[in-house]
Amino acid sequence: MTSTLETHPTDSGRPAGAVREVSVAIIGSGFAGLGMAIALERRGQTDFVVLERADDVGGTWRDNTYPGAACDVQSNLYSFSFAQNPDWGRSYSEQPEIQAYLQATADRFDVRRHCVFGADVTAARWDDAAQRWLVSTTAGEFRARVLISAAGALADPACPDIPGLDTFAGTVMHSARWNSSHDLTGERVAVIGTGASAVQLVPAIQPIVASIAVYQRTPAWVVPRTDHPVQPWTRRLYRLVPGLQNAIRGFLYLFREFLVIGMAKNRRFLEPVERLAKAHLHRQVRDPKLRRALTPDYTIGCKRILISNDYFPAVAAPNAELVTAGLAEIRPHSVVTTDGVERPTETIVLATGFHVTDLPIAGKIRGRDGRTLADVWSHGMGSNRSTAVAGFPNLFLLVGPNVGVGHTSMVYMIESQVAYVDDALKTMDAEGLAVLETTLEAQEAWRSLIARKSRGTVWLAGGCASWYLDRHGHNTTLWPDFTFRFRKLTRTLDRENYVGIPAGTQHPEVAA
Amino acid sequence: MSAGALLRRVAAVRTPDGAVLHAVVDGSDDAPVTLVLAHGWTLAQAAWDDVAELVTPRVAAGELRLIRYDQRGHGRSTWRSPTSPGHASEVAELAIDQLGADLGELIDQLAPTGPVVLAGHSMGGMTIMCLAAARAELFGERVRGVALVSTSAGDLAPAGKTAAERLQLKLTPGVVTVAISAARTLERMRRLLPPTNPRHQKLVRELLYGADATDEMVIAGAEIMHASTVRAFAAFYPALGRHDKRRHLTALRNVPVEILVGDSDQLTPQRHSRQLAEALPDAALHVAERTGHMLPQERAQLVAEAIERLLVAATAGRAAA
Repeated sequence: MTSTLETHPTDSGRPAGAVREVSVAIIGSGFAGLGMAIALERRGQTDFVVLERADDVGGTWRDNTYPGAACDVQSNLYSFSFAQNPDWGRSYSEQPEIQAYLQATADRFDVRRHCVFGADVTAARWDDAAQRWLVSTTAGEFRARVLISAAGALADPACPDIPGLDTFAGTVMHSARWNSSHDLTGERVAVIGTGASAVQLVPAIQPIVASIAVYQRTPAWVVPRTDHPVQPWTRRLYRLVPGLQNAIRGFLYLFREFLVIGMAKNRRFLEPVERLAKAHLHRQVRDPKLRRALTPDYTIGCKRILISNDYFPAVAAPNAELVTAGLAEIRPHSVVTTDGVERPTETIVLATGFHVTDLPIAGKIRGRDGRTLADVWSHGMGSNRSTAVAGFPNLFLLVGPNVGVGHTSMVYMIESQVAYVDDALKTMDAEGLAVLETTLEAQEAWRSLIARKSRGTVWLAGGCASWYLDRHGHNTTLWPDFTFRFRKLTRTLDRENYVGIPAGTQHPEVAA
Repeated sequence: MSAGALLRRVAAVRTPDGAVLHAVVDGSDDAPVTLVLAHGWTLAQAAWDDVAELVTPRVAAGELRLIRYDQRGHGRSTWRSPTSPGHASEVAELAIDQLGADLGELIDQLAPTGPVVLAGHSMGGMTIMCLAAARAELFGERVRGVALVSTSAGDLAPAGKTAAERLQLKLTPGVVTVAISAARTLERMRRLLPPTNPRHQKLVRELLYGADATDEMVIAGAEIMHASTVRAFAAFYPALGRHDKRRHLTALRNVPVEILVGDSDQLTPQRHSRQLAEALPDAALHVAERTGHMLPQERAQLVAEAIERLLVAATAGRAAA
């Protein structure tokens, strides 16, 4: 599903007249892209486009339509601070409700008119002479002063390299590319992977399938889900009492931030959480063999902590089987494991996650020296404040490296970054800069800050391999500290870490 | 089937009253014979693992289809659906006959054609007797061999000859009701003495195992039992006492039968197997020395050999008339 197109913008053969000039081009219309668009719109900056490869806004929440898809963070927290929704139906919303919220929010702030749908970015190149980004998409060419990538980390499905997968005669679908017209009723289904998506979709499909085999490489820690419907009177109260929903949001935020103490500061504080997860497993699974297979051997928090009340019962159901043997090969009508057992299978569900440490968008963005962001990042994703990269002028990344969070709302991090980028744009306007570029020194300082903060955290020292770490074992995805510290560091542009070129010149400013 | 791979599928068998039985089917559907293993009280299909391993080469060679399943209320199998009619009468109505009907349903759904060999341990053996009593026509034509391991045709309840036994008989229904209503508390109490506890193991060893049993066997068995529910214990306890098929074994005379028992079995002592052998004069009786109630674990080889004799006879097409 990742495009291998490497079309150079100038080779695309489009007439020059088709190129659309904009001040800002935003890639993606998920929480990050919409948040950025709304920030621009609200301060009267309307000269921008949102390039969206699909035909609707929503990003991850538009794409992940698998049965049971829901958010692991309470909606009161997992929503824009400026667009609280008093009408959430559940404390933890399911995908359709979150997607509806994003659609409604896009309409409410009137940013849909900036969206170009069906615009899959195939290449983006910095033209140093023109001081513009040249962006090629499947819906035409764009020239933008500033390029903001809000393509996200959970965007491009990762498919495992299992021998014979392409020879499978039945249906194969990734959880993030669910085919709802394919009826699983009465089928023999294989689910590969036991991460956040699997934990949600396995209980959703287990009751209707003939049999379900869950192929597990590493078990996950699972804690109870405190999900409940929101009562009508609560909803009325949210409308009547100003600030009530914000207060609850604040409480949820604080409560979740306590997890950081255990994850990033002192792992001892995770022990009660691990005990809770163990008790949860003990209560829901009686069979000692199954219990052992479902018990992780690493510290809780090292991989994403999952929340579910129905995953364990689904895996222990009469028509279910947890397979811990490794995958050997896939045949046209079956899945074979390394222990020589072959299970007849009609549909394979890949719940195998996303390209997170090797963001496909990075392979499409070329900086000043013609190298792609992926090339520059081949030794790890480096940045200044997770947002800017030296050699890539006027490029800002939302949901890029080291902003991920496993314990709280991603929207909080996104809003922090949006404010930072917005301040950068305002600074450019105020100072009359045509170009703004961060420095390698700033990047190195950020890298060492992240490395220092990551040392001893559960993600590095918890004894597991996770999608949080790149192939070199470095944390390049998670913010390894309290999220309010990230917000503080990105409240305003760190102007000293940037070099600006005033409009009308080709030369960097002389440092005062 | 491609070489080297063992076909396996999980099947959920829904019974008419809404219970769902968890079954694991190994081997190809066109294998010449199907073996169904029925486990005992408060156990699960895992109790058959050692025997299953010994017959697996046959499965891999395409000569055998092996079905293991969890009896209702045991392992992964559920109780009857709460919405099924007559559910209010609850567990008092439970009889081993129900398990016999379940086994019949399982055969109908998973092995609708071809010869079948049945092996039952303890309550699993009673399950087969109940099936034979209820559906005699299956035996001979479809069921071509039966192994009855550490089991009984009846007379398990205290006879009521002594005052203590009479008291026990009188109290049983009440005790069962209390046990079920207090299941949650009892479950919590059970957790205080987990199978890892040496005292727990000693208890299990003394009650169920013979002198030659290894610690490994005892722990494995204790774990399987610990995973079963208080409800399964209580619901089937009176049913075991009421089980009496001594005069309903006729159908089993139509097929080769292997009877196996341990000489130090305390739950279903030797005399039960001898009674069976008297009722089934053509059956072969094996008494294993220094062996307790857990024959499929303690003497897996002996049990597997008996089963293999039945499999050979079944595929030779000799349905004893």
